[in-house]
Amino acid sequence: MIRSVLADDEVLARQKLRQLLKEIDDIEIVGECATASETIELVRLTEPELIFLDIRMSDMNGFDVLERLSTDPNRPLPHVIFVTANDRYAVRAFEIHAIDYLLKPFTPVRLQAAVQRVRERLATGESGQNGTAKKQQPEPYTTRMVFKSRGRILFLSVDDIRWIEAQENYVRICTGKDSHLLRETIGSLENRLDPNAFLRVHRSAIVNLHHVKEVKNESDGDATVVLKSGEQVPMSRSYRSKIQKLLKLQ
Amino acid sequence: MQTERKNVPAFMNPAIFIASSVLVGILFAFQEWISLRHLGYRMAAPIFFESWGFQFLVWGTLCWLLWRFLGAWIQKARVVAILTVVLPLSIAISLGQQMLFVFIFQNLPLNHPEMSYWQRLSMYVYAELLDNMLIFWCAFSLFRGIGYYQQYREQEQAKAALEIQLANAQLAALRMQLNPHFLFNTMNSISSLMRSDIEAADTMLEQLSCLLRLSLERGESQLVSVREELDFIELYLAMQGQRYAGRVTQSVRCDPSLYDALLPSMILQPIVENAYVHGISKTNANSILAIEGSRDGGHLRICVMNSGMGLSPRRLNGRRGVGLRNIEARLKLHYGADASLQVAELDERNVHVTIVLPLQFSSEEEASLTRLGTR
Repeated sequence: MIRSVLADDEVLARQKLRQLLKEIDDIEIVGECATASETIELVRLTEPELIFLDIRMSDMNGFDVLERLSTDPNRPLPHVIFVTANDRYAVRAFEIHAIDYLLKPFTPVRLQAAVQRVRERLATGESGQNGTAKKQQPEPYTTRMVFKSRGRILFLSVDDIRWIEAQENYVRICTGKDSHLLRETIGSLENRLDPNAFLRVHRSAIVNLHHVKEVKNESDGDATVVLKSGEQVPMSRSYRSKIQKLLKLQ
Repeated sequence: MQTERKNVPAFMNPAIFIASSVLVGILFAFQEWISLRHLGYRMAAPIFFESWGFQFLVWGTLCWLLWRFLGAWIQKARVVAILTVVLPLSIAISLGQQMLFVFIFQNLPLNHPEMSYWQRLSMYVYAELLDNMLIFWCAFSLFRGIGYYQQYREQEQAKAALEIQLANAQLAALRMQLNPHFLFNTMNSISSLMRSDIEAADTMLEQLSCLLRLSLERGESQLVSVREELDFIELYLAMQGQRYAGRVTQSVRCDPSLYDALLPSMILQPIVENAYVHGISKTNANSILAIEGSRDGGHLRICVMNSGMGLSPRRLNGRRGVGLRNIEARLKLHYGADASLQVAELDERNVHVTIVLPLQFSSEEEASLTRLGTR
């Protein structure tokens, strides 16, 4: 069970969360609070694994709450899912390693996706964000990204990226049912991604090897990368030996 | 004082003004020297250039000081003030200038060492006072002229500013007509879905919020990039696609090199809405809605194609609904005759709406929220 706390100064906002979370089996709500100071008290008392946190509350904002909580090095911080009407704080939330950032109003599907991310994070045994306490060596490669797509804020784990297509000054990030256009060059993205997982197979394409099913040779000597989803990505000749080696390793 | 000094011609810069005055003096000196030589007199040149140059240096400085401290007043002075103040001033300044001149050039007129200061002064006043006053009044006319020029320029600029304001107000008004129409229709759909399909109502509410967030974010900016507009329209299409699930196939294609091109914000949504209201909603199945952005020489062309009913006879005759008329008006306000909107019936089921506008790219980078992070 994921022990969770709901913090929002509006009754109806808490009610919506409560009702939707009731349908998720492994979530247990251990408490609700309407102010920042109540939240701090409740979290210290119940030591939850997860907190659904509004940003604007009457006395302090959500970030202040986390800062107060992080002054106590003996207790692990809960994971945080921000639930807010304001998209302005998304980058800040991302920087303190929040799990997700739900913009009100959100759909049940979106909430479930956020909870799934918590499960994944808990499975790797990591404690909450905001590392004054933890001083690990940071990984050199990007593992997660935040961006805005069609009015939504998305915290994306790079594992969910299937492939990336260059489109002039933009890249299209394909995650399966969705794709997102970012103003980034494919070259700079390639440098930031782990080369053991992401391979440039074409001047204008990067694939995530975890999502690759096979490499199909074409009659004319070129090749096509076939993803597990069935999508096909064209491949330049020069990359073929490289991808075959990497695929064997996995 | 400061605001009066707008649109001042460059030659009123003190250095340029006084230098030009001295140059005029030197030209006069040159002329006199040449003509005397012509008459058979042989004289040393320096005294001519010194005296004329000095005289015009003094005049240039005096006139510039006059401009600096009395310019604004001179420009506004009425006839009475001119007669009672400027006229005596012109005499006083001319006299003063001559007194200074006679005092400095003791050996002029040449070859009359016996004359006293007052004798020489009276001789010069007699010969040149009117000339000197003429110089003063030339400067006076120049200042008045600059005044009229400034007034003219200010009026022109005010007029241009007013035109821009007016156009912006019109654009804002047109944009406002587009939004609420769509907004209330969607709210009505959500209200309807609340009774039958809560999940779908939830989804549509979320999508509507995203749309509102995007349009609020744009705020007052009139022009947005193609990518932003397509972002918006894809969200809109997702909502419509949900409403017409199973009846319509949608596609959006655009040349990626045009993603950063600019177009008026919210210009596509009314066209797509029209395609749904007049075309797709009136057929039962297998409708198509396709949006395509392409480059056409120096222009951006965006075509919205829909299958459905074709055009009604009224529309075929070129009559347009309020939505399309708004778009035409906005295109005209932004681009004048360099943009167009065309509605054409391909065959009896397919309608094309095409807008063409000049290709422009944003010079400033838009702020992006994208960040990459490590665990």
